[in-house]
Formats: sequence, structure tokens, C-alpha cells
Amino acid sequence: METATSDEQMVERALTGDPEAFGQIVQRWERRIFALAFGMLGREEDARDATQETFLAAFRNLRGFRGEARVSSWLHRIAVNQCITRQRRAKVRSETGLEDEAEKNAAVFALPAEVSPARTAEHQERSVAVRRAVGALPPDLRQVVVMKEFEELTFQEISDVLDLPLSTVKSRLYTALRQLQLRLHKFGDAKM
Amino acid sequence: MRNMNERPVCHRAEDLVTYLYGEANKAEARDFASHMQRCDACRAEFTVFHQVHDSIVAWRNEALGSVLVSEPIKSSVAQTVSHSTPFVQPERKLSALAALRQFFTVSPLWLRGATAFAGFLLCALMGLAISRFWQTPVEVAKNGNEPQFNQSDFDRKVQKRVDEELARQRKVAEENVPTPELAGTPNTRKNGNQLASTAVRSNSQPRNRLNKQEREQLAADLGLIPGREDETPFVFPDEPQQ
Repeated sequence: METATSDEQMVERALTGDPEAFGQIVQRWERRIFALAFGMLGREEDARDATQETFLAAFRNLRGFRGEARVSSWLHRIAVNQCITRQRRAKVRSETGLEDEAEKNAAVFALPAEVSPARTAEHQERSVAVRRAVGALPPDLRQVVVMKEFEELTFQEISDVLDLPLSTVKSRLYTALRQLQLRLHKFGDAKM
Repeated sequence: MRNMNERPVCHRAEDLVTYLYGEANKAEARDFASHMQRCDACRAEFTVFHQVHDSIVAWRNEALGSVLVSEPIKSSVAQTVSHSTPFVQPERKLSALAALRQFFTVSPLWLRGATAFAGFLLCALMGLAISRFWQTPVEVAKNGNEPQFNQSDFDRKVQKRVDEELARQRKVAEENVPTPELAGTPNTRKNGNQLASTAVRSNSQPRNRLNKQEREQLAADLGLIPGREDETPFVFPDEPQQ
């Protein structure tokens, strides 16, 4: 609650023309927004772009923030929309592909990130499997999983961001977890 | 591991995820814990879901830990914030264009074609409407070649014809004064002189202006007013005999 009040005070100061105020908002939330974007898009470069576009959109539409929701929920909503728009653009550009969309997304998510030499092969393999499984989820389920696992938002916060009933959020997460377990089992995760 | 789809599903799925992520209050947690002791399905799913959750957390920590989120994003966003004039009205135009651009980017090919065709059709209809609006109206057909007069034109016309007629009469009278047939007898000559002098006198003296009725009559006689040819023509009182 104290953070939320501080965020609202920052927004008010930003509306009066204080450029430092919005910078503090960016500093406070950029990691969380990046984590959300990375979880949804699966690629660091795309996540960076989406995060930047999220804060730029928030800055341009600062007057449109009516204070009905928390600043964090508002930022998350913008970030989710940015990620969805990026995914649609990517889908339009690659319309000629015959492969299953879920597999395409899984392939994107499976692109290896920078690998530390200290990591074991098994650890790397499991990460790749989890990335592919999350990427293969339908967008509506992936949103909930990313917000819960990456952002560590509460069910109520996810409900506010996505404008969904609380029970819908929980049921979607339950369905996502079932599908993840199935895919991890299908990808041969030995420990599952 | 047994296939997930073969495992029975309990009706308390939502309570399971609430308990799994630690958002249940004490009473709810205690209740679900006791339920799990009796329900094999929930107990099995809780175990599996916990492993999935741990795997995702491990991936998240690894992915976010290897990616530094600091200067590149902050500096670019901060630059944009500092260089842009906040809340300037032209932003509204940019967002509308950006929204339109985004619409065409994400819309399928058939929708773009349909939009372009609709725009072309609209422009064609507007051009047709504008061309019809600027066309000069067709003139109303007039009744023959008859001139249209107002009252002053009418009076002027009548007066002109009267003057012409008087001039003609004067000329005729002057010509009739020294005629051979009439020159033979003094009386005839005298009568002719009288007539001529009368005619000259009458023509030289200014006539009284015709009243309205007399003008209309004269105009009908002279053919200025159509449809009144059958009326009795007006006769000058001093018309010389020929």
C-alpha cells in the first residue's frame, strides 16, 4: 500500500511537469516489466523493446491514468498489450509457416540465452524444456503463468491487470500448470 | 511418470492453486491441507504442480539473472522523457497515426484490400456528388422570343413608338402639303394647307402624354402586347387622310 501511494504521488508530480518523477517510476518497475515481457516473448531483445515501449506509452498516456487502478496494474496492463501486439505482428509476418503455432512459439522460447560455462548440461536442458513448454502455451494461459511466476503478482493483482474474475484467473493457472506438466513430460523432463 | 491426463481431477482446483502459491488464509490453508490428506487427486497434483513451479522459478532466475536490465533501457527511456515536451497536443495526432499504422500491420491481407476498396469507392462517390453540385442549373424554358418588360420598360417602349409614329405622321403631312391633285383648286389647296398646317401645328405642338389606358391600347395596336391583335386599333384623332 505504501508503495502504491508513493507511485500515485510520483504520477501526480509527473503530471505537473517533473521529469524526475517519471524516471523514478521507471527505475522502480523496469525490472518487473522486463521480467513480464521476457516471460511472454521469450527473447531478451524483444523483451527490452517491449519494456521500452511500455514506459514510453505510459509516459505519453500519463494524463489518461485516472487513478482507478494501481500504477503497477496500469503498467502491467500496458506491458501485456505491448507483448500481445508484438506477438500478433510476428504472427502476421510469418503467416506462410505450416508448423503449429505452439511449436513455433516454443522454438522461439527455446533460443538459448547466454549460457554460463558453470552450468551443467542437465540444468541447461531442463531450462530449455521449461522455456519451450511455457512458449507453447496459448497466450491467455501464458499471460497468467508469467505474471504469477515471473512477476509474482497476487491473484487479485492479475485479476485487476487482465480485468478478469478472480476464479477465472485461478482456473486458467490451474489449466496452464496441467499443460506445462504434460509438455514437460512430453519433452522428456526426467525429473517430472 | 503417469500421464497427467489419466489423473483424476478434483473439484477444488482453484483452492489447490491458492494453497500452492501461499495466498490462502490460515483457515483456508488448514482446510485444504486436511482435504489433501483425504484426496489422492489433489495430493498428486499438488506434488506435480510444485515441481513445475520450481522449474519455472529456476528458469526465471537464470534468465533474468543473465540479462542485465539497467542502462540501455533507462537511458533510452530517460532521454525520450527529457527531450520530449510532455502533454503537447500534437502527440494526439501521432497516436492516431500510430494506431492506424498498427491496424494495417496486424490486420490480414483481405481486410487491407477491403479497406482500400471502401476508401476508393467513397472517394468516387464524393467526386460524383461534388461534380453534380457544381453543374450550372438548366435554364427555364422561355415562352418564345417575346421580350419581358417591366413597367418602366413598357412605358419607354410605348413612348418611343409613339414618337416614331408622330414623326412618320409629320413626314407624311409635310409630303402631302404640295400634292398635284390637291394643287388644282384653291379650296383643295387651302384645305391641304389647313390640313398640313394643322398637322404641322399638331405635330409641332407637344402632345399631351397618353394615359395608361391609351398607352396600353397603343401598345396593343403596335403589336407590343401579344394576344390583343383583334382589338380595335387606336386611331389618332388628327390622322391625315390619304
